[in-house]
Amino acid sequence: MIELQDALRKKEIWAIGGGKGGIGKSLITGNIGICLARLKKKVLLVDADLGGANLHTTLGIGVPEMTLSDFLNRRAENIQDVIIKTSIPNLNLISGAQDFLDAANPNFAQKARLLRHLETLDADYILLDLGAGTSFNILDFFLFSDHGILVVLPEPTAIENAYRFIKSAFYRRFKRVVANQNIKDLIDAAMDQKNTMGIRTPYDLIERVKGMEREVGEILELEVLKFRPKLIVNQVRTKNDIQIGFSMKSACQKYFGINLEYLGYVEYDDCVWQSIRSKRPLTIEYPYSRPARCIERIVHNLLRKEQLTLSMLY
Amino acid sequence: MVKKIDDLNFYELLEVDLRATSQEIHKAYERVRRIYEPNSIALYSLFSPKETEKLHQRVEEAYRTLIYEENRRKYDATLRERHDLPEMVTPAPRYQPRMVPPPVSRQEEQRSSAFEAPAQPAPVVPPARTPETVQLAPSSIIEFSGSVLKVLREQRGLTIRNVADITKVGSRYLEYIEAEHFQKLPARPYLRGFLTLLAKALGYESDRIVNDYLKRYDAAMGQPR
Repeated sequence: MIELQDALRKKEIWAIGGGKGGIGKSLITGNIGICLARLKKKVLLVDADLGGANLHTTLGIGVPEMTLSDFLNRRAENIQDVIIKTSIPNLNLISGAQDFLDAANPNFAQKARLLRHLETLDADYILLDLGAGTSFNILDFFLFSDHGILVVLPEPTAIENAYRFIKSAFYRRFKRVVANQNIKDLIDAAMDQKNTMGIRTPYDLIERVKGMEREVGEILELEVLKFRPKLIVNQVRTKNDIQIGFSMKSACQKYFGINLEYLGYVEYDDCVWQSIRSKRPLTIEYPYSRPARCIERIVHNLLRKEQLTLSMLY
Repeated sequence: MVKKIDDLNFYELLEVDLRATSQEIHKAYERVRRIYEPNSIALYSLFSPKETEKLHQRVEEAYRTLIYEENRRKYDATLRERHDLPEMVTPAPRYQPRMVPPPVSRQEEQRSSAFEAPAQPAPVVPPARTPETVQLAPSSIIEFSGSVLKVLREQRGLTIRNVADITKVGSRYLEYIEAEHFQKLPARPYLRGFLTLLAKALGYESDRIVNDYLKRYDAAMGQPR
């Protein structure tokens, strides 16, 4: 097995999102979790897809008794009570909400309580599987985590949503650091691509904010540098598809000024849907398949804080 | 520092280092051009077709500017005027040594013939230069000894390091050649090769320089030709 750095003793929270539905977020989360657990890391998977949870299914677990909604609605006082042990050693799961309609939209206090409890847990890695869309809940989980990971497919629809996700997360982050209501309104207005103020890019926004309050503008500039989402391209079929990750990296640098880290890609293979059909995790059912290897490589990059470089391609 | 796309300089646009070689620039261009071509899927929804078209044109312009030494030098000068070279580590970019050294003007040649005169700091060569050609070694120089080669080099404003970069001859050997440490130099055939490269780097026909120097070498080492 791969020898990896074990200097990391601190707990890390990773969030996996991507904007579009059906792009493999849960599958990748689950299998990254399994890879980490195999490396003797204590892993907790949290299905934060509160509206359409199915992380348990990708792991081959039936409908769980206790879910996140029990915790959110205080039917379970302690988060320990909703943790389910999986058949894989070191891998635990908090399943997503199943019943409560309200649970899909927890309020601020509920979210804060959840995050507070997560911080106290004994785990090396906590992986949050986010739902589709760019609702505030999803964005907040993404921004709260130590590493936000975006999944895209090499398709215009998924890429469009990924950019929208980045933009939303970006502006929400901006809004969290400014106090001035006028600037908050400005950020809201800038979210609208067709706004009348001529704010097209984050750069325009920062310039505008600087015009209002110089210091706030500088704080926002710092935020830009700190925001470093990671990228996984799923269902890669050709070399050009792999290239898309690098292209998105370049485009993000030029458009947002942010550094998107290209973690890796997962090759397309029939064994993926076969494993889902059989309700057995990919890395267990087909451990030597190409997609499983790709996921291992991604875990590798994650642990070593590395990313793909162009030279690896040629 | 966040920069607007329109404000990116050509290096930033092509995502290359300020000291990138022309080969690196070419490679980067091939890559970046493909990213910013119209209908590029990775840009979908981020840039409008108009913006993509504009970016595409700028990438082409950046390439045309940076790939030609002359244009690049001029562009660097304008960048420096705008103080837009923040990442510059050393004031002299490394690509300069790669260019063919400028020919020496007549006056300089005359000065080089009287090389006993203290070697003055090399005159700053004006940026606009005529195309470089290989010159015949000036007949005014009687013998090409190590010290003459040194003066010739210094007149061109080249350091040992620069010459080593151009010729790929180790800087140690270049120093030995100039200092005429014949004992430390490699065998004669290798030395001949080094001298040929050195002469070319200085912008001269190599024959006379090489033969002159080897004659001195033979005399010192006591070897027949």
